[in-house]
Amino acid sequence: MNGSDHLSRTDPGALYRELSRSNLPATRRWYAVTGLLLLVTLWGVGCFVYMMMTGMGVTGLNRPVMWGALIASFVFWIGLSHSGTLISAILRLTNATWRAPILRGAEAMTVFALMVGGLFPLIHIGRNWRFYYMLPYPNSRQLWPNLRSPLMWDAVAINTYLIGSLTFLYFGMIPDLAIARDHATGWRKKFYTVLALGFRGSHNEWRRYHVASTIFAILIIPVAVSVHSIVGWDFAMAKVPGWHSTIFAPYFVTGAIFSGLAGVVLVMAVLRKVYRLENALTTVQFENLGKLLCTMSLLWGYFYFSEFLTVWYNRNPEEWEVYRSYGGHFLPLWLSMVVCNFVVPFPLLCMRRVRRSIPALCFVSFLVIVGMYAERFLIVVTSLARRNDPFIWHNYFPTWVEFSILAGALAMFLLLYAVFAKLFPIMAVSDIQERLFQATDRVVGGTTVESIARPEASVEGGHG
Amino acid sequence: MSGVVVVGLFDGIGKAAAAGNALRALPLDEDRITTLSSVPLPDGSVSRDTRPIRFPRVTLVGWFAGALAGLALALGTYLLYPLITGGKAIVSVPPTLIITYEVAMLGALVGTLIAGFREMGLCRFRTRLIHDPRIQEGKILLCARVSGDEQARRAMDAMKSAGGIDVRPEEGEL
Repeated sequence: MNGSDHLSRTDPGALYRELSRSNLPATRRWYAVTGLLLLVTLWGVGCFVYMMMTGMGVTGLNRPVMWGALIASFVFWIGLSHSGTLISAILRLTNATWRAPILRGAEAMTVFALMVGGLFPLIHIGRNWRFYYMLPYPNSRQLWPNLRSPLMWDAVAINTYLIGSLTFLYFGMIPDLAIARDHATGWRKKFYTVLALGFRGSHNEWRRYHVASTIFAILIIPVAVSVHSIVGWDFAMAKVPGWHSTIFAPYFVTGAIFSGLAGVVLVMAVLRKVYRLENALTTVQFENLGKLLCTMSLLWGYFYFSEFLTVWYNRNPEEWEVYRSYGGHFLPLWLSMVVCNFVVPFPLLCMRRVRRSIPALCFVSFLVIVGMYAERFLIVVTSLARRNDPFIWHNYFPTWVEFSILAGALAMFLLLYAVFAKLFPIMAVSDIQERLFQATDRVVGGTTVESIARPEASVEGGHG
Repeated sequence: MSGVVVVGLFDGIGKAAAAGNALRALPLDEDRITTLSSVPLPDGSVSRDTRPIRFPRVTLVGWFAGALAGLALALGTYLLYPLITGGKAIVSVPPTLIITYEVAMLGALVGTLIAGFREMGLCRFRTRLIHDPRIQEGKILLCARVSGDEQARRAMDAMKSAGGIDVRPEEGEL
């Protein structure tokens, strides 16, 4: 560490050492934490195997609530995955100067949340060994997937998003892997040499790298939006009261970005604290994320009110019963959702003091995560619990098996993230270097301000 | 294109730009001069990229290939094993559009990745490539492909007089 309170503009070696602390040899504490996470993950896997051997009866699922915490978690994790790549792509395209320190962490969050989220439908299907029925290949029994089912749209969209996000993450990491290669020794040098694919930082490479990054960013945004739209359509296509709504696709996308942003704030705060990245992840990044979170809270409130208003005014009995249950059995969940997603976050995030305070922003983000999980749970469970025929109404509560699988999934996400941060550059070093290279201090009147040079405006624009 | 490359390290972009101008004055063609640096330098600041960038075409080709694959997958699945459901069409247009769109985007992403690797000249593990890890300390490596000893000597002189350090000829590809 250079001992200063800002990143070094003149010493790239010191900058790299500061930003790559996560790649230092693992400490006992790291082994202890990852060991614990591995144990919880294995416990979750064990419970899944128990469920597979015993049958779905060990869950709280019962007619008519045949989708429960596992599907709510699927929607939640896919939503959480939403913001990482999406935010990164939008910030790249808009050339936001504050973006560099959050890119990698956010993109990694997307990939791991998708990996974890994508497991839930497979866990939920019951006869899990038959998951390959979803794969479109000709076989002796001609069991082709039914592409008219929204669940198959999900399978296709999530795989596209996962491959796209992995591509986006890896491609963006190539210059940093090259930097790591040139600094590393031993097995890490070989590891980074292979992964950097021979990137050397030639002028031609940089130019093409930027063009490709821009194209990836342009492509990944509509894919991200389509994924959560399709998750929304999983529900909206069914004639189930509370699900069958035209607003579900944008409502789900909004909720996904909202929870994803909260996830990015929490991940960034943890990385900042654990790897002492205070000079890279400053209040500027957190304040801007706070502004986005505030906007999304407002948007979420708007969508929820729109959804509620049409049902309230229409008073279609089937749909109204679902909403009435929010004031009864599901009141604690409904209150958690409204309070944690809007009532508390929106006014708090309007205050600059809160946005600039990392602990306060983390508290709000945590509330949003809780509120969004409550929302997912309410959407999935309540609509089925109060479905059409009152004689079959049934309340649902997850069992210890489901809770264990959910805990295992969370531990798996954290474990993947911890291992990734240990092996790969968790900060986008080359992006940060580029930003520092473009920045100069400029005296304006009685003060000094940072001035950013934008090469594409003056030079590249002329060469197309 | 292999051959002799004269390389020189420069402490700052100003010195590297002066050396670049001196090399062009030798004269050396623009496509024979390039830089290796830890940050992207603005085009024209030291060297200029003369090769056209063809990414968008490959992305577009990937998109159309993906769209065709998605369409074939959806239609093939419907028609090869028709799932007859009362009142439902065998070939359903909206789901076909969704599958086509998703696979098209996948095709575009994969096309961009492959084209990116190809155009950037990555994955050349068996080729000896010019490289100097000292660029990670903030230095700029100016490289000039030369033909003949006389041009090599003049290029080295030009780099040295512009402030180049460790100026040397190297065998390898740019």
